[in-house]
Amino acid sequence: MTLPAKKKSFDLYAMTWRLPIIVWQLIFFVGPLLFMLAMSFFVVKNYRMVEAFEFTNWERMLGRGYFWDSYLLTLGLASLSTIVAMVIAFPAAYALAFKVSDNVRRWAIFLLIIPFFTSYLVRTFAWYVILAESGVINAFLGYLGLGPYTMLNTKFGTLVGYMTLTLPLVVILQTFALSNIDTRLVEAAQNLGCKPFAAVWRVVIPLAKTGLIIAALFCFILSFGDFVAPYYLGGSKPPTLPILIIDTTKSGQQWPRAAVVAVVMMVTLFAVAYAALTAAYRKRGRT
Amino acid sequence: MTLERGLTWFLRAWVGVVFVFVFTPIIFSLIFSFNSQRFPTIPLGEFSTQWYETILADRDVWQAAWTSIIVAVSTSILATFLGFCTAYSDYRYNFRFKGAYLALILLPPTIPLIIMALAMLAWFSRIGASGQVWSIIAAHTVLTAPFAMAIIRLRLSQMDDNLEAAAWNLGASEWATMRHVVLPFCKPAIVSAACLCAAVSFDEFAIAWFVSGLNKTVPVVILEIVTGNIDPQVNAIGTFVFLTSMTLVVAAQLLFIARAARGMKQGAET
Amino acid sequence: MASNNKSSFLTPSRRDVLKYGGAAALSMPFVSRAWAQTVEINMLAWYGHGEPDIVGEFEAANNVKFKPKYYAGGDNMLGLIAQSPAGTYDIILSDGEFVQQLNAAGYIEELNAADYNFDDMLHDDFKQFPGHWADGKLHSVMVRCGHLGVSYNKNAVTAEEAQSYKCFWKPELKGKVGHFDWHLPSLGMMSLTNGNGAGLWDLDDAKWAAVKETTMSLRPQAGGFFDYGGTFNSLKNGEMQAMCGIGDWITGVLEKDGAPVASVVPKEGGIQWTESYCIGKGSEKQEIVKKFIQYMLSPDGQVKSAQMAAYPGFAITKAGRARLNEVDKKEAERTGQVDGMPNDPITLIKEGRIHYRDIPKQQSLEDWNDFWSEYKNA
Repeated sequence: MTLPAKKKSFDLYAMTWRLPIIVWQLIFFVGPLLFMLAMSFFVVKNYRMVEAFEFTNWERMLGRGYFWDSYLLTLGLASLSTIVAMVIAFPAAYALAFKVSDNVRRWAIFLLIIPFFTSYLVRTFAWYVILAESGVINAFLGYLGLGPYTMLNTKFGTLVGYMTLTLPLVVILQTFALSNIDTRLVEAAQNLGCKPFAAVWRVVIPLAKTGLIIAALFCFILSFGDFVAPYYLGGSKPPTLPILIIDTTKSGQQWPRAAVVAVVMMVTLFAVAYAALTAAYRKRGRT
Repeated sequence: MTLERGLTWFLRAWVGVVFVFVFTPIIFSLIFSFNSQRFPTIPLGEFSTQWYETILADRDVWQAAWTSIIVAVSTSILATFLGFCTAYSDYRYNFRFKGAYLALILLPPTIPLIIMALAMLAWFSRIGASGQVWSIIAAHTVLTAPFAMAIIRLRLSQMDDNLEAAAWNLGASEWATMRHVVLPFCKPAIVSAACLCAAVSFDEFAIAWFVSGLNKTVPVVILEIVTGNIDPQVNAIGTFVFLTSMTLVVAAQLLFIARAARGMKQGAET
Repeated sequence: MASNNKSSFLTPSRRDVLKYGGAAALSMPFVSRAWAQTVEINMLAWYGHGEPDIVGEFEAANNVKFKPKYYAGGDNMLGLIAQSPAGTYDIILSDGEFVQQLNAAGYIEELNAADYNFDDMLHDDFKQFPGHWADGKLHSVMVRCGHLGVSYNKNAVTAEEAQSYKCFWKPELKGKVGHFDWHLPSLGMMSLTNGNGAGLWDLDDAKWAAVKETTMSLRPQAGGFFDYGGTFNSLKNGEMQAMCGIGDWITGVLEKDGAPVASVVPKEGGIQWTESYCIGKGSEKQEIVKKFIQYMLSPDGQVKSAQMAAYPGFAITKAGRARLNEVDKKEAERTGQVDGMPNDPITLIKEGRIHYRDIPKQQSLEDWNDFWSEYKNA
């Protein structure tokens, strides 16, 4: 772009566009997050928060066995959710990217956007009724002489909830990632005698790597931070970190401890995101 | 080649399975909303509109709808304005710390809502603004501005670089160029960004639940019914939320998304 | 079943209110202005207390509008008050045992004892409920109560088995025992299981350790930790066959809906939940709030409380009980609120089988809550 170089000390026009978001985000985004970090060092006396700088909350939370159990559980569930979502979504995204007409693809994407605009809570509540022991699925299985199976209040239930939240997004992102690759490369590989599965594994996936990793990352972030699925479909048994945050805020104004949990979650997410993005944008080495 | 064709059909069937999974809860919630049972089970009870009658007659639901509309409209205006400013800054200028600048606006959606909710409520309590309607608006603006920014930035990238410069050469000031060239060009993106921001805000419950205090929005009412005296009203309310959001999305789709996709495709082909 | 529920949900009087509300709602743009003229009363309460079946008549008669904020558990309530500016809540429905804390923190106004008819209370304890008076000053008025014990599905647990908390450990109930997700009632029951009787809240280190051990031994049986709605649903649809930490306030609603569930006070004793109204410190609407509390203590208010759609509570005044027996004999009999019935709640209290829910005496709430988190994660 060739724009006239501006050397004014203060460019009113430029700043009109540049500053609003800085001011807004400092007050309503950076401010709250930094305050939360500070809050993790406050103390609570008689149900009132007192500003202080003490490590008691950190010692207390990090010193609890249940905190680390919950941490590992949340990490494990979110990873599992990511793997399951990626595996379920991939064939669908592959079909949408390569095996259907443009028109069908557009409609499919449009339909996949719909869930984002139905209340996630309402959808979860519907699953609750569907998965119940006297619910739709078990009633159906009953006709076949099977079951009933316990699906609610299990990790399976939690996973169904996570999929409800993440699967449409993962399919969309994967479809975009796959649509963007140059199909001539795939054809070339097949012409050179590469079998379909090998072509997917050795050509398609590496080419779409960046988009796929981003899809997985979003899935992980959403599952890691969701409290609805593990609470309503998993029976908070055992509780994940987001449920721990809510429990902690509910119990007698223990906000500083909730803040500790939140900070640990954020650090974890940043680490995962950093690792994922590094992997996503790393130049491919020789194969 | 039979393997190939079998595979193709398998893949298409798989898409069907995914769609069944995605739409099962949506369809069932619609069915339950017309079902007489308070605790819906199988077999279904009789057809009934009692849940719709209940919510239509419930002033709390109407009040929440009103709050939600105020929040969604204000949020969409603010977020779209901020999104536009940022998208234009990114399009037009290079400056120091631009990476940090962009991170500032693009980060919020990557932070779990429950954490944002906790941080927001603590912060608003600290500055003495908890439980206000505008505190929900502020929080939702942070959350939705990135979406507005992304949509508008996409549109700007379709604008000819020389368009602005040509206007300047013809003697127009930067402000006039903005008004007569840039804004009209971005108009469809701005409208669809506003629709999307409104729709996201209309559905958000975690932050609204923490921050809202007594000024409940519709999703907070849903959450209270689900945690409280659970009953199929939630399905009826859900239907309304769905219709509202879909209206906004379809509007956005008609106005921009389809056009942008076509534009991008043409760009890619040429 | 559904129609039965519906009739309790939509009483004629409410219908009128609803019609009025519906008409108002249709004229959306004018709504907010029209409501501005009515006085808004901010209420902090357990779920259901601000719903039309309770407050509708009072609202219509006095041109007021309740704006409820619901909480679950006293700790939750204290947290919500602490994070709101003073004077936010005009009326607070508190659990009896938390009135003390509210008072100590300066969140509630002093009440004038002469405004309320204490002589009509069914039990002497209700006149001077622990913590409601401090230095001869009244701070809160009890309005309803209920009993917690063994709540069970009749298809899975027999009435005899339900006579002891031990039934929660029944092998067939593995993974089928739910918990109401709040430490006080569940741990209180564990303490009763250990035979602590009237000293259930007053646990020295050894007894507290024993309660923890008993609780932990129940963990393999536990099928989930539920809030209000989850408790309802999981008992109703059979996910959970027994529930620890609740009582008739949940099973009563389900029973009326036709579910095969019941609650009994077992031989180890039961726990009483007590709900009391307080006026929020700095409220500008004290007069009308006082009027509302008087209304809830009146026979009509007591019947509304006993029939509350969200969860039923016992009438605590003699006149209230009499009115309930007049207008809804069935509900009075179902809950034993008939003089002379063996399971009359007042009789149970007099027999010493009921213990008022309280906060732990020797540990802090924090300790209990902490252990509860540990238990859930075990």
